[in-house]
Amino acid sequence: MSEYVVSMSNIVKTFGTVQAVRHGEFNLKKGEIHSLIGENGAGKSTMMKLLYGMYPINSGEIIVKGKKMDRLDPKTAIEHGIGMVHQEFMLVEELTVLENIILGFEPTKGLTIDFDSARKEVQKYIDQYDMEVQLDKKISQISVGEAQRVEIIKTLMRGADVIILDEPTAVLTPQEARRLFEILKNLREDGKSLVFISHKLDEVMEISNRISVMRQGQYMGTVNKEETSPLDLTKRMIGREVFLNIDKSYGKAGKTVLEVKDVWVSSNKETSKIRGMSLHVNEGEIVGIAGIDGNGQSELIEAITGIRKVEKGSVILNGKDITNFNPKKVRDAGLAHIPEDRNKRGLNRTMSIVDNLVAVQLDEAPFSKGMMVQKADQDKYAEEKVKQFDIRPTDYNLPTSALSGGNAQKVVVAREVSMGKPLLIASQPTRGVDVGAIEIIRNTLEKAKKEGAGVLLVSAELEEIISLSDRIVVIHEGKITGELMASEANENNLGLLMMGGKESK
Amino acid sequence: MGAIIENLDKIINVSLIYATFRSATPIIFAALCAAITQQANILNVGTEGIMLVGAFTAVAVSYFTGSWVVGVAAAMLAGVLIAMIIGIGHIKYGADNCAIGMGVNMLALAITKFLLNVVFGMNGSFSSPEIDPIPRVKLEFLSEVPILGEIFCNWSIAEWFVIILIIALQFLFYKTVWGLRLRAVGQFPEAAKTAGINVNKIKYQAVAFAGMIGGLAGAHLSLGYSTQFVENMTSNRGFMGVAAMYFGGANPVFTSLGCLLFGFADSVGARLQAYGIPSQFVLMMPYIVTIAVLSVSMAVKLSANKKRQSSLN
Repeated sequence: MSEYVVSMSNIVKTFGTVQAVRHGEFNLKKGEIHSLIGENGAGKSTMMKLLYGMYPINSGEIIVKGKKMDRLDPKTAIEHGIGMVHQEFMLVEELTVLENIILGFEPTKGLTIDFDSARKEVQKYIDQYDMEVQLDKKISQISVGEAQRVEIIKTLMRGADVIILDEPTAVLTPQEARRLFEILKNLREDGKSLVFISHKLDEVMEISNRISVMRQGQYMGTVNKEETSPLDLTKRMIGREVFLNIDKSYGKAGKTVLEVKDVWVSSNKETSKIRGMSLHVNEGEIVGIAGIDGNGQSELIEAITGIRKVEKGSVILNGKDITNFNPKKVRDAGLAHIPEDRNKRGLNRTMSIVDNLVAVQLDEAPFSKGMMVQKADQDKYAEEKVKQFDIRPTDYNLPTSALSGGNAQKVVVAREVSMGKPLLIASQPTRGVDVGAIEIIRNTLEKAKKEGAGVLLVSAELEEIISLSDRIVVIHEGKITGELMASEANENNLGLLMMGGKESK
Repeated sequence: MGAIIENLDKIINVSLIYATFRSATPIIFAALCAAITQQANILNVGTEGIMLVGAFTAVAVSYFTGSWVVGVAAAMLAGVLIAMIIGIGHIKYGADNCAIGMGVNMLALAITKFLLNVVFGMNGSFSSPEIDPIPRVKLEFLSEVPILGEIFCNWSIAEWFVIILIIALQFLFYKTVWGLRLRAVGQFPEAAKTAGINVNKIKYQAVAFAGMIGGLAGAHLSLGYSTQFVENMTSNRGFMGVAAMYFGGANPVFTSLGCLLFGFADSVGARLQAYGIPSQFVLMMPYIVTIAVLSVSMAVKLSANKKRQSSLN
């Protein structure tokens, strides 16, 4: 038997015409934490989903504990001791924590589920690894960090000794992440083998024994932690050196463009109701909103842009009260909006690049005259924007569904920024896009600010917030917990505020 | 109007309790049929059709074999077969629930009409003394007791059985392994899949089980509630069942309570007819109640949701 508990070689996986994994290699030693890193879309999640049997492989070989796996499905994977904590939690919201943990492996007593013995069993793991969870709460009532612990307990209950964690820290505050790391280290000491998928290099450097890199579906090699550095890993991940630190200007902020006064907004989730929020954005500055996803960022932006009803309070844009205007009127009053979900609100995926580029100004000159659209003027405009924002492919008559995430996002950014509105709202502008597009998008926001626009930026990436913003507003459970100048902000003081704590000076 | 007020004691009296339950029973069966698939997140628009095929099969088989037991069993089997059209169409080929459900309903209407003509040479309806009905349970010891006697002493076996079924399903959904998996499959299939559960298998099981109950609903209608087959005799009870299922959120007990409301409207309507209320209006009653019940339950749900989501509390 080899030294590896898992070994995957020559893996190929295609979805339709897309080759998600062109050549995948991965192996895992007993008792190690092995990180799998790469950019979005590099195929790291897919590799691990193949190991967990979520999809069949096209070709290649998977060996688990010396046994070749011919047909792998989640059930077989679980039987061979493989557990996976998915990026999007696989928890049923309306079932209790306990029900979720035992799902699929329920202990029984006669005809009924034996909840008592299940409870005892689960408590064992809670005590052993210090993972506090509330067994009788529904998933919809617990925090993200707790839900993640539920997921880990789930894998342990199923007898996993190989645990895959798919970007586990993406949804956590720095403090919660540290707590997770303690749990992971305990698991490693107990002889479990862990796969840690991430693209955050500092975390990877902290926790791994070995690191494997993937780029565009290709295996790019494995290194021991001691023999590498974040810079070395970056080069392996993207194939060139990229410096994301943009040239930040500290212009003089001008008069107030946006004023949000004691706004109360409803939401679908308990934690993200906006309860009395006030903030302002001036001309020529970027105000960043930091917070863990789901703490009211989306609802605040929806309220400002007229998509969600403001229950109390007011929103003032350029001195004009726009509270509860419809989205079109809000835009007319001087607002541009890069929405957080480009596929839902940013683009019409079945329509062409040019149609999407002119969509919000279709009724204005030169794109239309009276009732008729001016196709030639639209084309000229599209050609110019495709060049300016480096949108690929350059054929602007292609439907936007043909574009990669990064290029699709560039279309949205191009449309919104080019109007030169006094207020630009950018919600998760670089979510799920490649490094090249991130660079272009960030520089575009910086340029809009230099030209005098007020920018309100929401991002789940703290690094993005810190490097772009002039001022940072932190929100937690629908309330502002603090405001900092970007120059004094760091992961620690922001993280504390994101948890709802007061900043300690 | 005057006549109604004068005779109020004849309209609302003890016998109305059984009348309500009697009218509600076929709807309860239908609603439970819809509730089972709903737990697996399959809206069972075809309940009506499953039921109608069950009703015809029960009468035909009971007539030829002379046994209500065989008739009911055959109806349940026929229900499973029809339900499988929905199951395969929806689960395997991803067909829309409403489209395939309506298709099944139309198919059921046509095929029962056709078979009625081919097998019995009849149009419209078929009844015969040769049809063996589901027997009634006469509780002699209760017949002398004043109020209880009137309410309980003459129920059909199927009417007793529906009460057992409600309790059994409540237990099945919320206390057993299959129920937990069924609910997980309905609410978040990906989570069930990663727990090693075969999602489609559970869905097929739910559809087949619902087919059995739907067939039973039809058999009760044609062998218990009455002893005949009439074209389109379900007259939208399947849809009322679906409405009640919504009202009760697919919970067997709450769903059945919703059905009692329909039964009540139906039996009060029937009594009002004797006192000069136009029959068209009386026939409208159950449907008006359906719309009212659905509107009210949706409105309550929405306003509760709105209140829960509001930032002002």
